[in-house]
Amino acid sequence: MLKNYFKIAIAVLRRRKFFTFISLFGISFTLTILLVLTAFIDKIAGDSYPDRKRDRSLYISRMQEINKTGGQSSGPLSYYFLSHYAGSLKTPVKVGISSIFSGTNTYVNNKKIAVNYKYTNDAYWDIMEYDFIEGKAFNKQQVDNADKVVIISEDMKQQYFGDVPSVVGKYFEADNVKYRVTGVVKNVPITSYMTYGDIYLPYTVSKTDYRKDKGYRGGFFGVLLANSKADLPRMHDEYQSMVARLPMESKEFDKIFSHADPYIVSYVDTGNEKSSGVMIVLTTIGIFALLVMMLPTLNLVNINITRIMERSSEIGVRKAFGASSGTLVYQFIVENIILTLLGGFIGVILSFVAIQVLNGMNLIPNLVLSINFTVLAIGLLICFLFGLISGVYPAWRMSKLNVVTALKAS
Amino acid sequence: MFKHLFKLIWNKKKQNFLLMSEMLFSFLVLFAVFSLLVYYYNNYKKPIGISYQNVWVVSYNNALQTKNTDSLNTYYETLRNNIKAMPEVKEISFCSDNVPFSANTWTGLAGYNNHNYSNVNMYNAEDSYLKTLNAQLLEGRWFNKSDVATKIPPVVINNELREKLFGKGEAIGKIIDESDDGKNKKRVVGVIQAIKAKGDYAAAGDAVYHRTDTGSFRSLGKIMVQVVPGANAAFEARLYKTLANYMKDSNVEIEHLVNKRKDINYFTLVPMIVLSIVGCFLVINVALGLFGVLWYNINKRRGEIGLRRAVGATGSSVSNQLIMESMILATFSLIIGSFFAVQFPLLNVFDLSAGIYLVAILFSIIFIYLLVFLCSLYPGRQAAAIYPAVALHEE
Repeated sequence: MLKNYFKIAIAVLRRRKFFTFISLFGISFTLTILLVLTAFIDKIAGDSYPDRKRDRSLYISRMQEINKTGGQSSGPLSYYFLSHYAGSLKTPVKVGISSIFSGTNTYVNNKKIAVNYKYTNDAYWDIMEYDFIEGKAFNKQQVDNADKVVIISEDMKQQYFGDVPSVVGKYFEADNVKYRVTGVVKNVPITSYMTYGDIYLPYTVSKTDYRKDKGYRGGFFGVLLANSKADLPRMHDEYQSMVARLPMESKEFDKIFSHADPYIVSYVDTGNEKSSGVMIVLTTIGIFALLVMMLPTLNLVNINITRIMERSSEIGVRKAFGASSGTLVYQFIVENIILTLLGGFIGVILSFVAIQVLNGMNLIPNLVLSINFTVLAIGLLICFLFGLISGVYPAWRMSKLNVVTALKAS
Repeated sequence: MFKHLFKLIWNKKKQNFLLMSEMLFSFLVLFAVFSLLVYYYNNYKKPIGISYQNVWVVSYNNALQTKNTDSLNTYYETLRNNIKAMPEVKEISFCSDNVPFSANTWTGLAGYNNHNYSNVNMYNAEDSYLKTLNAQLLEGRWFNKSDVATKIPPVVINNELREKLFGKGEAIGKIIDESDDGKNKKRVVGVIQAIKAKGDYAAAGDAVYHRTDTGSFRSLGKIMVQVVPGANAAFEARLYKTLANYMKDSNVEIEHLVNKRKDINYFTLVPMIVLSIVGCFLVINVALGLFGVLWYNINKRRGEIGLRRAVGATGSSVSNQLIMESMILATFSLIIGSFFAVQFPLLNVFDLSAGIYLVAILFSIIFIYLLVFLCSLYPGRQAAAIYPAVALHEE
């Protein structure tokens, strides 16, 4: 049965090539746009390099303080807060602390290199699983001694040292200080802003002494690692109750909010208690996808109706010989899904091309998009929906055709 | 004539309903894209307000920890003299960290006659700020030494804020207020051309410039350095060494405004390009769809057209009729679409000026008409070429 439908579908496709082209164009391009978007989201939200222990970590990225007049200020946290307060919690096995990357320059043979540096504590390297191309991370001892050591990214190695096989033990100068390289790690794209940096330094070598500053707010992110996935809710609640008990920093504030959240929630945190970043992102993506899909769907419906009406004689004959409306609707929807899957196939090929082009343009350094199984599955699902939505209304119109008129029309 | 066309459209309302909804949707998409483009273009037309080509920005942090204001000032004045002593440096100015083209924003209130405006950009600037950036003074003067001991602190505002607060009236010498309780009075001494601090495509917004005073060095974090044209990387490395050696406890970074402008424009351009590509694709899609459907319709109406030709209608009147039909369809959906689109300026969504929306609506309407016209041109021509004898014979 399906084989027959398939044959009919192909025959119909070859009948009016122009219409076929319009349908396929619409489907494949829509799918390409959505697939590239999906690949992008998948890369940002789903790519877990370097924090592969994401499923048992919670991230602390912001704190919001609200003062009595209704004003608010929010931002990242201080080292003191993360080590002293978050560090005192019972559930986390480790607390990784790292600063927001910020920029400095270094000059090699009168060539300027922009360097984004990031301060971390030693636990950060136990939690994160950076791929070391050579060397290793600095340890607790080195951090406590405030050794001038540095971990650099592949890119930075290339720019600063050029093509040399090994740079461990060599010296890297930034901010007029010489640091000894202990390791080289695989690049992280800047979109993973909590883990991105060109060079990573122990927080103790920082020129400002972070241990003196007793305020809650500063320039640091925290990562809490739990023993297992089951401990996450407990860890979350423990952090929440700790924040609830915090004494106010000054008289002008009367409320403090801060959350230890899973990666994605934390990633899109607006720093504002009232507006959830997740909601904003979802709405934006939803509206965009709806608009991009709505027009081609309407288009397909239009084209499908005209095509069906062309086949009124065929429908009339089948009805006259006793085919039920249900059978005809089913047949037509199957045909339509075959068409959309064909368009989907072209769309996937186009997406591959588009993604290659985008990667080649290198719009965001180190952000390499790829189509993986998740993205493909989502694409397939979109196609299926497409075929179903654009097939239902025309099929319904067709099934209501009167046999006599259908036969007479030919 | 029109009445007759309406009847024809009404008779095929089901099919036309789908066509109309497609046009409606494409109108809305175009309206969104055009609104954005017109908004960006409007901002792009305005002068940028500074010459940034030879200005570098130095960022530093907590270079000196001291409670003593005098030693703080001495420390930075020495640094200023050290930098200015370099032959490549023309002018330097310490300022708050919301320098042009940076992501940092400080906003506050500004009001006059109980009309308060929030989201006004607040800058801390020195006497040399204007010269360093080559900003244009439109009225009054910039800060100078005489402003040290005035009872009401002087401020300079930009022309966007001047427009809002004083309209066509006199601005110089007026007292504005930076809080809602009348306790934070400032005297306007000058008006400058608005600086598009967030790049070429973003609106300049309102701005108030405050003069730095003796304790300001605690909160400043940037130095803007105007260099002579042709200052090269070797000089930059020298400047960097000077700064880093002097401010031992600080992280120093030198950036060029030219590059910062490129980066910040990039952030507005990328969404614009993406949206335009998506918009283009949707329009092509709709055009093809319209074309196909109209073409099919005409083929289905061969009998009707043959009959009209047989009773003496010319070919051009037949094709005109078909084009008119699709234009009327487009008009229907544009009326509905405009009804939705007009809500944006009426409700003042996103705080854009009504003019932008209206221009966008106009563009979208013209665009849709053009699209429908082009799509029905060829099928109409085909219909005109139908021979009555052949068409009627088929029937």
